[in-house]
Amino acid sequence: MTHVHEATPGGDALDRPFTPGTLTDIDLEGFDETVGDGDVLRATDARTREFVQEWRNASYNCFSSGHKFCREVCPVMQVSRNESWTPTAFHANVVAMERGELEIADVAADYVNCTQCGACELRCPNTLFTGDFYRFRTRTVDVVKAARALAVESGIHQPRWQTWNARTNDRTHEPVLGDVDVSQERVRDWADGLNIPIGGESILFVDCEAAFYRTAVPRAVAQVLQLAGYEFGLMNEQWCCGGPAAEMGYVDQARRFAEHNLADWRAAGAKRILVLDPHDYISFTEDYPKYFGADFDLEVVLVVELFAELVRAGRLTPSVPIDRTITYHDPCRLNKRKGIWQEPREILRSIPGLTFNDVDHVTQWSYCSGGGGGLPIEKPEMTAAISAGRLAKAAVLEVDTLVSACPWSERPLSEAGASRDIDVVDLHELFAESLGITVGGSRGGGAV
Amino acid sequence: MTITAERVDQVVERLLRVLRADQVLTSKADRYNRARVPAPFPVHRWAERLPDLAVLPETTEEVAAVVRIANELLVPVVPRDGGTGLTDGAVPLRGGIVVDVKRLNRIHEIDLGNRTCTVGTGISMLKLNEELARHGLIYPDDPASYPCSLVGGRIGTSGWSLIGSRYGHTRDLVLSFDHVLPTGEILHVGDGIGRKITKSSSGYQLKHLFMGHQGTLGIATRATLKLFPKPEAELSPFWAFDNYADAYACTGALARAGVATFAGAVLFDEHKVAYLRRDDEAYIPQPQDVRALVCAVTYGYEDEVRPAGRRLMRIARDHGARYLGDEISEGDWAARHDRYATPLHGRTKAGQVVPMSWHCEDASINYTNLPAVTREWHAIVAQLRRQTDVFDDWGMFAYTNGNTGVDYLTEIDVGIWEQRLDDRAWELWVRAKRDLAAVSLSYGGSISACHGSCREGEVDLVPDELGRGFGVMLDLKRALDPNNIMNPGKYHLDRAYERDGAGT
Repeated sequence: MTHVHEATPGGDALDRPFTPGTLTDIDLEGFDETVGDGDVLRATDARTREFVQEWRNASYNCFSSGHKFCREVCPVMQVSRNESWTPTAFHANVVAMERGELEIADVAADYVNCTQCGACELRCPNTLFTGDFYRFRTRTVDVVKAARALAVESGIHQPRWQTWNARTNDRTHEPVLGDVDVSQERVRDWADGLNIPIGGESILFVDCEAAFYRTAVPRAVAQVLQLAGYEFGLMNEQWCCGGPAAEMGYVDQARRFAEHNLADWRAAGAKRILVLDPHDYISFTEDYPKYFGADFDLEVVLVVELFAELVRAGRLTPSVPIDRTITYHDPCRLNKRKGIWQEPREILRSIPGLTFNDVDHVTQWSYCSGGGGGLPIEKPEMTAAISAGRLAKAAVLEVDTLVSACPWSERPLSEAGASRDIDVVDLHELFAESLGITVGGSRGGGAV
Repeated sequence: MTITAERVDQVVERLLRVLRADQVLTSKADRYNRARVPAPFPVHRWAERLPDLAVLPETTEEVAAVVRIANELLVPVVPRDGGTGLTDGAVPLRGGIVVDVKRLNRIHEIDLGNRTCTVGTGISMLKLNEELARHGLIYPDDPASYPCSLVGGRIGTSGWSLIGSRYGHTRDLVLSFDHVLPTGEILHVGDGIGRKITKSSSGYQLKHLFMGHQGTLGIATRATLKLFPKPEAELSPFWAFDNYADAYACTGALARAGVATFAGAVLFDEHKVAYLRRDDEAYIPQPQDVRALVCAVTYGYEDEVRPAGRRLMRIARDHGARYLGDEISEGDWAARHDRYATPLHGRTKAGQVVPMSWHCEDASINYTNLPAVTREWHAIVAQLRRQTDVFDDWGMFAYTNGNTGVDYLTEIDVGIWEQRLDDRAWELWVRAKRDLAAVSLSYGGSISACHGSCREGEVDLVPDELGRGFGVMLDLKRALDPNNIMNPGKYHLDRAYERDGAGT
């Protein structure tokens, strides 16, 4: 029970405004320890207790705010309008689990409905209000990842995610549900005819979706690097970065993949990793340092940032005019998770002939392709609805092309774009074309 | 849960005849996440406030069909829109069906000629204004919850707008709406029967009756709204004062000046400034002699706002104000919308940071009574703090209700450490709320300017505030909701169904 101090009202310092902790004219000794019951932890299962103890205060920060500014920027909420699938619910569930009201089995399937885009974190009043002062950021993405991991550890699986991760484990690569032949033997097929060496100080890591499905992206990147005279090599045996497994809660598998890749880099004598996919960029800058701590001493270079630097330095000057009217899709993991939105625009503005109808990056907090966080695997119809919404916004701008910089976004966006006659092109592809490179490879629907 | 599992099955079976399976939600998590709003919530008794199920209708007809089923099976219905309210209108007290209208979010029409739009009530003002901006228009209903509250909730609570002194509040901005009555009949209500009429003398003026009822009289589903040109210029000067009395006098003078583009004035009291100094970098660098703040806001064309600003600046200067500069002024006014005073934490008296919920208690108070009410309200919260560190005083605001300065939305922000709430602390809180409401009434005010007054504690004084009007409320409730299915347990309206007919 709350201990109530039966003080007589009035006549002391509490009647005036004061800053807590600074009262000098009031004898705080005179007040009893006056708080209610200690913290309530009624969850019985040991794993849940551990999860709740880690995330209770983060969750309570959301629960106690009670505002829902995150809601209308959330891509899932925009298409589902279901309050059970909001950042608010994802935090409130933890509070309810702490109190023994809900169990992970009650909520595991709800946590599927998140692309981990990070918009909610930016729009959170707690981030906005205390972020300036304390550099605080709400961590919905981490809460969702942790809840998914708790589900998997507790033996609660989402059927398609389970299959996907089992097959990824067998083949060491994604994407494993389509018609594409995914295997270790084919992982460098995209580079046919480009004469890229194996190993070296700078290693180009090619995301699974790009290596097997949208091969035009890595081909464009590799040829631009060659044109700039930037030396790089490929991995001896590249595996999936492990990020998607981590996002879906298959933590052990993610870690195993990371360990393999790190060992391969070490064997190659790598000092830096060049990354063309925003999802890999998250894995290498957030997950890997968490796994390996100070041992992870490799430089991680985002290709978009490198290209912008090469343009600035005059080492790359696009000169072939591209006659397209475009808008740019800020990939969530660049714009919302990493704050990278200037460099892609710099590159686009360096390309002659483009008409660029830009939408500012803050407005794009509420945009998403729906392609992240494992959503297209478990709920492809929701991904399609989110992509359709993104293309509708592009259509209003009367563009013929939507440019993205994220291979995972390009498959669902292309499918949505087909019905509107809007072409979905990767930034690297467009840049290479303007540098006079014949890119080759596939944009998913066949050879270009 | 108030109905048995077998009854739930029966209700679901009936609902599935009018809705798709994905529109009927029965899981535990679906119910837990539709039990709560930001209003003070006894989190230790969460399970007592669960609905039995929730539905996500997509049309007025679907809402009506659900309500007809509920009325036939005598199952409670609780309307839920944004779920962002600071009173507990959307909190189920007797279980039943939560009718969540968020999927009614289409823009049906933008009528540029008559300057109106017609929307589903599940749309937020933010999303609506994104579309209206393409036509240079704005729907200026602007609560602190602007990014997330929905048009329907604004109707159900009769919302209050930060810039209402210039553009009016929700009641002025909503011209008419479709409304599902507790029997499941569909009513169109506005001024007269017109959809886009702003003034009618035909018949009873029913529109206000179906606004601010906290979901006890039915569910608004489609609304026609009044639109304005998107203002070209905004001016929001903030001024500092070394004492509350001068700031108070200045606020009154600004509001009474009769400036046509005036959209509101805000008075921050000494407790609020002390609170802001704890964590808000904008105020920490201010000298210690800053004890109170005033802000005024004007919207309009450039050539209207400039001279208006000069006049307001002159008035402020005459009252001893120090202008805080353009940067703080623009940033802070934006923050009123964007960040509000949403802290992550409160503090114990000894200064320990603890996670606390923000709870805002409001009233409508006449200008001349503001200092007295401010003093008495702080004394109530000070007594709470003497008793326990579960509560913290985060200061007070007063906002002009209208453009003549007659009365003010008066707010005290109280931090509550909900993680530590138990029955004893909750009882202290309920008693304090009753005391706050009693102060408002003793000064001729109204218990709530915008949140509603149906929460535990204050609700006990609503019959005192409304007098015979409360009896009329009971008569109307019984007439429109013969089976008491619509949001039962709110506003003591159960008395309408007591055998002695307490309402009459």
